[in-house]
Amino acid sequence: MRLLPRLFLRRAFIFWLLLAFAAASTKGQSAAQFPPDWTNALGSLADKIAAVTKRGEGLSLEAKNISSLSTADVDGLRQLLVTDLSRRNRRVVTESSADVVLHLTFSESTDGYVWIAQVVGGDEDNIAMVSVAAPNHKTSTKEASLTLHRKLIWEQDAKILDFGIVEESASGGSSMLIVLNTDKLSFYDSQDKSWKLARAIDLQHGRVAQRDVRGRLDLQAGEAELPGAECAGDFRHPETVTCTSITAASDPETPMPPVAIQGRSVEDYAVLAGACGDDSLTLASGAGDWTAPDFIQAYGGTNLSAASPPIQVPGPVLELRRNDGSQSVRVVSRNLKTGEYEASIVSVSCDD
Amino acid sequence: MVQSLDPASGAANPEEADAKTELESLVYDQRSEDGTFVGTAGSGPFRVSSWEAGKRATFAAHQDYREGRPFVDFVEIQIGRPVHDRVVDLELNKTDFAQIPAEQARQATDRGVRISISQPDELLALVFLGSRSGKESARMRQAIARCIDRAAIVNFILQKEGEPAGGLLPQWSSGTAFLFPTETDVRTAKEIWSQISPSPKLVLGYDSADTLEQSVAERIVVNAKEAGISLASRAMTASGKASPAQADGSTPGVAHIDARLVRLRMTSPLPGIALTAFINRLGPIAGIIDCPLRQSASPEDVYSCERSIMNSGLVVPIVWMPQVYGLSGRVRDWKQPTAGESWPLADVWLDSTD
Repeated sequence: MRLLPRLFLRRAFIFWLLLAFAAASTKGQSAAQFPPDWTNALGSLADKIAAVTKRGEGLSLEAKNISSLSTADVDGLRQLLVTDLSRRNRRVVTESSADVVLHLTFSESTDGYVWIAQVVGGDEDNIAMVSVAAPNHKTSTKEASLTLHRKLIWEQDAKILDFGIVEESASGGSSMLIVLNTDKLSFYDSQDKSWKLARAIDLQHGRVAQRDVRGRLDLQAGEAELPGAECAGDFRHPETVTCTSITAASDPETPMPPVAIQGRSVEDYAVLAGACGDDSLTLASGAGDWTAPDFIQAYGGTNLSAASPPIQVPGPVLELRRNDGSQSVRVVSRNLKTGEYEASIVSVSCDD
Repeated sequence: MVQSLDPASGAANPEEADAKTELESLVYDQRSEDGTFVGTAGSGPFRVSSWEAGKRATFAAHQDYREGRPFVDFVEIQIGRPVHDRVVDLELNKTDFAQIPAEQARQATDRGVRISISQPDELLALVFLGSRSGKESARMRQAIARCIDRAAIVNFILQKEGEPAGGLLPQWSSGTAFLFPTETDVRTAKEIWSQISPSPKLVLGYDSADTLEQSVAERIVVNAKEAGISLASRAMTASGKASPAQADGSTPGVAHIDARLVRLRMTSPLPGIALTAFINRLGPIAGIIDCPLRQSASPEDVYSCERSIMNSGLVVPIVWMPQVYGLSGRVRDWKQPTAGESWPLADVWLDSTD
């Protein structure tokens, strides 16, 4: 009997410790899924709510989402706010037992997210708000369950004319990414699974800028061309590459003869010879313009009929070129949601 | 070709004012955030090659434009074409591009015209004029504000191309527009009006060249009548500019109005810049007190300024309207301009296969 109360207290203490640990873990997991400035903003919002409410007051919380946040994110943020409020001695209760009603709205402006709390009740209504930047919407690598696979290699704000990957690099990295922009030629080393800028060469154009600039990389020959400028050197050794301005006005590429694909004339396409057995595949994008999402599809046979389901691209495909020595194409597109230019590799895997 | 109105007329109506701005954007290189053009005329993507005042203008591609010459060789603009004729021209492919009033967008679509619609970026508001002050004046403004049926204006006059406006910024820009109510409250309007003694007879002015303003003004008069408010509408011409009521009530030859409808088009999608431009425009009309906003003003600062203006009751937002453009089938790469952006005529090209 004398031992029972001690045992009970010990078990109660251990149980309380486990509860506290579980609560802390849960809080840690919820906060960890959001950027730090979001959790800071919620803390600031809780401070503002606390400033217009009284200690111990019961708040009923109604949340509404009129932004692009997902339901899961909204639920997580709401829970975080409840936790922040409880730390400030504000209890969130059911509506029937609430002293004050808190209308929480997750809204959005041109600058980012705006989170607004309307405190209704008491002497007067109060409005508190915080704002946070919305994160970039990164395009996830699309792993199609179909024959075509798209892998995002690089993305940037500035327009990409062409790009390529050299598998060996003299600088010690396993490969090198070369990106041809309208105003520079950039070399990136592969380090720690990311691309680090090794060298960028500014391009001095020999003539007035064109609106629809096109450029081309020839990785094997070590050449880069675009109207008004050309570069040459060993792309495996970026320090050997030099660029000069020229006065050539025309596109650096000889246009390919158009082909008929499903009733439309297509000028931008890539042919992969022997992609699947003896058959060659022609890869082409859709017929839309630069303001709509696009797709890439493989066509085969003498009539160039569809040989694969299309893979979707979140913006217009601007360039489509065959990668020399491989059964893949390099694709430059523009993500309409983020505005970023994306460099991708689309490869073909044959169905068994 | 672009249908427009005479930009040299001194902008007698809002569409003319907008057209003037758009034509200037073709010949100027840059535009600052407050909407003013910088640089010299002719530095832009196009240059004026011919001009017949009130009839036609032709703009040729600027070969050495710093961002590259436009894809099209020239743009021919017909001036002074009525809206109905513009829609017919689009149907018959006699024109490539034309502005269409928001309230005619649905009709144009039904007739097979390809249209492009922006986010709502133009506010139609009722602005009280003059120096009426005091409790009764404030009650009068509150009563008018509560009796307006914005939903009916959007549904029946704008044919659902627009949205009710409660604040000075649209929801997509500020994120806080939902905090300003838009619902009609005729009962409260009646109660407030009944407290004003003697109840005045008010006059609401609108631009005589603007059919939309006329329709909205007439609708507001009907709404006011339902709330027991004595309100009449009056068309204002460019020559007979209305002046605020004088103390002695007599201003020979000049129409007396208590409020007028005003169109306010956003010069930027950024809420702080757009609100500042609105304040600059409304200040001389309604005597609105300026609340200085930094370019990087926070949503809280913008909301606070907007709320203070709305609390004054001097401005009553009615509806937000989009910009609507009709396009021919051969126009490609048309990107709908956002608030403050000009027509992207330098970026479009014409598909010759159509």
